Amino acid sequence: MSPFWSGWIMFLVVLNLGITLFLFLWGQRVKIPTQSDGTSGHVWAHGVLREGVRTLPLWWVLLSGAMFLTGFTYLYLYPGFGAYTGKLGWTSHQQLANDVAANNAKLDPILQRFAGQPVETIARDATATRMGERLFIDNCAACHGRTGHGNPVLGAPNLVDHDWLYGGDGATILASIEDGRHGTMPPFSGSFDKDMIEDIANYVLSLSGADHSPAKAKLGAPQFALCAACHGPTGTGNVALGAPNLTDHIWLYGGDLATIEKTIRDGRGGVMPAWRSRLSDTDARLVAAWVYAQSHTD
Amino acid sequence: MAGGYKYFEAVEKHAGLLGILTAIMVSIGGLAEITPLFMAAHTVKPADGVKPYDALRLAGKDIYVREGCYLCHSQMVRALRAETERYGPYSVAEESVYDRPFQWGSKRTGPDLARVGGKYSDEWQRQHLRNPRAVVPESNMPSYAWLSQSLLDGADIEARMRTLRLLGDPYSDADIAGARTAVTGHTEMEALIAYLQGLGINNEPKKAASDAAKPEAAP
Repeated sequence: MSPFWSGWIMFLVVLNLGITLFLFLWGQRVKIPTQSDGTSGHVWAHGVLREGVRTLPLWWVLLSGAMFLTGFTYLYLYPGFGAYTGKLGWTSHQQLANDVAANNAKLDPILQRFAGQPVETIARDATATRMGERLFIDNCAACHGRTGHGNPVLGAPNLVDHDWLYGGDGATILASIEDGRHGTMPPFSGSFDKDMIEDIANYVLSLSGADHSPAKAKLGAPQFALCAACHGPTGTGNVALGAPNLTDHIWLYGGDLATIEKTIRDGRGGVMPAWRSRLSDTDARLVAAWVYAQSHTD
Repeated sequence: MAGGYKYFEAVEKHAGLLGILTAIMVSIGGLAEITPLFMAAHTVKPADGVKPYDALRLAGKDIYVREGCYLCHSQMVRALRAETERYGPYSVAEESVYDRPFQWGSKRTGPDLARVGGKYSDEWQRQHLRNPRAVVPESNMPSYAWLSQSLLDGADIEARMRTLRLLGDPYSDADIAGARTAVTGHTEMEALIAYLQGLGINNEPKKAASDAAKPEAAP
């Protein structure tokens, strides 16, 4: 704050408190000329209303005095009087830093137990998974749901079903959280026409033994060679690419014919954001541990 | 001191004088609290990485304002532990220099959005704006599905950027010349998502003061 504005504030504070304090003290001493009937002589409504003269109630005087005292004490202890920083040197930033430090003093000894530990080890600790669940609900539930069951609207995978796109070991889960994932299925509307897409979709359905038209699936089978590049010749997927297994009954976006046709036609681009900048490494490990524990209950 | 009754009587008997004196006393507070900050606001420099909104994000910001998102969402992380824990480093004035009007807000029915950029995928934002319940079952946010049907009208984007330049935003002639092309063909939904995905991304302080400041010894 520049000296000018500091002086500006100081001047106005002194002026304001000076005037009000002066009026407070002076007003109580001023002698009000009193008529013989005990009133000030001020009348309204042709003498029906007359102004009595009384001293101020003691409680009002004391409360007002206390108010001044509080004001002066505040300006002495805390910042407010221009550039004067106050006797306590209080700032909101320092307050926050102190609060964070006080919280960390309680939290750090607990977190230290888990720092750098393998996710599988952390997952056996009940405290860790409770903390992980809390972090999961705060950060991950928007896509994966509060219970981790995923959301087909987004293609957010179910995390509690023992099926993994990239692998379900602790290190892989942790990597997914910290660095995110970009699942990319390209659109094939340029390579296949509408009927071919329907044939391939039927073939995809046949892989998991779902209801399908065998005739169309037969036509689609040779076309699947293109899909096999990512999903594998037998459609079992590829964890290196995050290409889903098509032979189980687990579907990211839905397993009905129309949805599969749409997936082939328009492609999919599932994005898991990277959480490295938002979660500390230990926090990420706690979340990973909770996720790991959900699919390793038995 | 006791003889001043005539002054009190003068104030008491002249309503106009009472009004003027009251106004003077009340304005002292405003002069002390508002004027210095108001003048200081003109000297705030943008933080590192804080750039004026590009055309699409600017269009998105105008939709954010038009739809009244600020009525439920603040864009200011306060310097309180519960907030920095949830939303990240607290907001500073240097981050909002290009927000006209600023979107700090004072009401949170929904969460703070100051640092929401990149927290969710574009697709999440799209589905959430289309139907918030599809991704957050307990949400009470209204649906903004029509945003994906309405195409941006690029007619006035250049004028908006020129106006902001008049107010001091450093747009170049090239920025303004390319603005119309940049927004044409995009939906309002895309613009709003581009705006949301940029919130707090480039302007996050290099090192949060909350982390950098060492707690001082108890006084």
